[in-house]
Amino acid sequence: MENGHCPKILIVDDEKGLRIGTKRLLEGEGYSVETAENGYDGIKLGTTTEFDLAIIDLKMPDIDGIQVMKEILKVYPDSVCLIATGYASYETAIEAIKFGAFSYIPKPFTPEELFQKLSQGYSRRELILEKKKWKQEREERLLEVAFEKSRLNTIINSITDGLLVVNKNGEAVLYNPSALKYLSFDQIKIEEYIIDKLHPQIAELINKFLSSQKCEQKSFSSEVELKPNREFYVEATSSPVANPDGTLAGVVVVMKDITELKKIEFLKSQFVSMVSHELKAPIAAVYGYLKLFSDTSIHLSEEQKLNYLNRSQIRLDGLLKMVNDLLDISRMELKTVNKEIKEIDLHVIIKAIIELFQIEIKKKNISVNVKSSEMLPCLHADQDEISRLFTNLISNAIKYNKTNGSIDIIISSSGNYIILEIKDTGIGLKPAEKTKLFQEFFRAKNEKTKDISGTGLGLSIVKRIVDSYSGKLEVESEFNIGTSFKIFLPLRNGINNKEQKAGN
Amino acid sequence: MQSDVKKKILLVDDDLDLLEQNKILLESRGYQVITADNSKQGWELFISEKPDAAILDLIMEEHDSGFVLSYRIKKDNYGKNIPVIVLTSAAYFTGFKFSASTGEEKEWIRCDEVINKPVVADELVKKLESYFSLKDS
Repeated sequence: MENGHCPKILIVDDEKGLRIGTKRLLEGEGYSVETAENGYDGIKLGTTTEFDLAIIDLKMPDIDGIQVMKEILKVYPDSVCLIATGYASYETAIEAIKFGAFSYIPKPFTPEELFQKLSQGYSRRELILEKKKWKQEREERLLEVAFEKSRLNTIINSITDGLLVVNKNGEAVLYNPSALKYLSFDQIKIEEYIIDKLHPQIAELINKFLSSQKCEQKSFSSEVELKPNREFYVEATSSPVANPDGTLAGVVVVMKDITELKKIEFLKSQFVSMVSHELKAPIAAVYGYLKLFSDTSIHLSEEQKLNYLNRSQIRLDGLLKMVNDLLDISRMELKTVNKEIKEIDLHVIIKAIIELFQIEIKKKNISVNVKSSEMLPCLHADQDEISRLFTNLISNAIKYNKTNGSIDIIISSSGNYIILEIKDTGIGLKPAEKTKLFQEFFRAKNEKTKDISGTGLGLSIVKRIVDSYSGKLEVESEFNIGTSFKIFLPLRNGINNKEQKAGN
Repeated sequence: MQSDVKKKILLVDDDLDLLEQNKILLESRGYQVITADNSKQGWELFISEKPDAAILDLIMEEHDSGFVLSYRIKKDNYGKNIPVIVLTSAAYFTGFKFSASTGEEKEWIRCDEVINKPVVADELVKKLESYFSLKDS
C-alpha cells in the first residue's frame, strides 16, 4: 500500500481454495493476511486482534457470516467488514449492511473487484480511524477544559478574599464561600437580583458600572464596615467584566478582609491623639502664662512673674523629655528589625547609669546596691536598648523612692534566662494602678506623686524593649512599701557558657 | 462687675498651671476665685463655699471627671441654680464637639455651657456675665 502501512486483513471462509487463493493474491499486494476456516475460528481471531478489514463468507456450516461480523464488531467496532456471498441478492446486502457491514462482495469475484472493494473499505477504515482520533482528541480537550474549569472553581473557592460576580442586570452569577461568609449570607441564588441585599456601599460600587452600562477599564474601592465596632472590615473593589465586543457583561467585586489593618490603624490614631493631648497640655500651660504676661489688664507681682517663668520652664522640660521618649519609642520600633546584638557587660551599663543619677541619688540619700550571682552567663543584646531599659527603671526607682531609701539591683540567671531585678523602697503602687502601669502616658496620680515629674512613657518603653527580646516582666508592689521589677531576658541560643565576671 | 460683693467662682482643674492662670484671669476681671485640683476637693468646696458659678475641667484623672462633678452640682438643690461651665479640649483631639444646648446631650451633660480650651478670658467672662445678669434681672 502507498503509505507504507500494511493493512491487516482477516478472511473467514469455509472454502479452502478461496482462502488460500485470496491470501496469496492479497499478500502479493502488500496486505497482511490471516485466515479462518469457519465462523468459530473467525470470531476467535477477529476478536483477539484488531483487523483493518475482514472479508467474511455469509454462509458457513457452523456460524453464519453476519453473526461472526456482529461478534467482531462488538469488540472492534471500527473494523471494516465485507460480506462475501454466493447468493448475492439485494436483501442479503441490505441485511449485511444493516448489521454493520461496510459492503458486500458477490462471489465469485475477480481480483479487480476484490481490490476495488478492499480499497474502498480501507479508505473507509482510514476515515473511521481519523474520525476516532479526532474524536479522542476532542474528548481529551473537553476533559482538559472540564478539568480547567473545576481547577478554576477550586482556586476561586480557595481564595480567602470574597468574590462576587454579577451580570449587567445585577443578578448574581458567581461567588465563592468567602463572599458568603463576608456578606453573612446563608446562600446566594444564582441569577437572582442581589444588589438590594448587599451592603449599600458595596451596592454603590457595583452600581457605578451598572447605571452607566459602560465598560470603562477602571475600578472603584471603598472600605466597608460589615460588622459594627470595627469587628469586621473589608476593602471592596469593583471592576467591570467585558464581553468580547467590549460591552459590559457584568461586575466583579473582590472583598479583602482588612479588619486587622483597621484595628492597627485605630490603635495608631488613638496613640496619636493621646500623644497630641499629652503634648498639648504643657504647651497650653506655657501659652497660658505668656497670655498672662501680655494681658495689660493683669498686674503680676515680681514674685508671680518669677514663679510663672519657672513653671513654664518646668513644663517645657517635661515636654522635651516626652518628645525624647517618643523618639525612643519610634527608634525602638525600627530597632525590632535592626538590633545591634553583641555580648554586653551589664555591670558596666549599670555603673554608668548610677553615675548619671548621682545628683538625684545624693539628694535623697538613697543607697544603691548591685548584686550578682557568681557564674553569670553572657547576655547578648543591643547595648543601647538594655541601657535605656535600666535608665528608665533606675530613674523611676529614684524618683518614687523615699528619702534615705534604698535600691537593690540583682542580676541572676535561671535556665535560659538572665534575671534583672530592681527593687526600691518607694511609694509603691495601688492594685488598680498596677494594671495600668505599662499603658502609655499612665502615671500614678495621688498626693505623693504630685510633685514628681514624668512623661508616662518610661515603663511603656521598658515593656517594649523586654517584649522585643521575647522576655518577661514581673512587677511586685505594695503601696507605701516599695516596688520590684523583675525582668527575664532569654539568653541567645540557649545557655551561653562563657562566664561574665561577677560584680559586687 | 457692678455689684460691690464679688461673685465667687469655683474653679476645678487638675492641671495646676491652668488652674493658676484661670484664677489670675478671673481675679483680674473682678471675681473671687476658689480652686481645687480634683473633683473630690471641688465637691467639698462647692458644699462649704456655695459659689456663684463653677468652672470645671472635663477630663481629670483623679476621682471623677468634670461631667460627673457638674452632674452632681446640677442635681444639688443649691447647685441647680448656679451656672456651671465645663472646659474641654476634647474637640481638638477627637473632633467631637460637645454642646450643652442640644436635646440629647443636654440630658447627660448637666451643665450650662461647654467651652473649648484654650480658654479666651473675655469669652469666659462674657458667658459668666450673661448668666449673672439673667439671674439678677
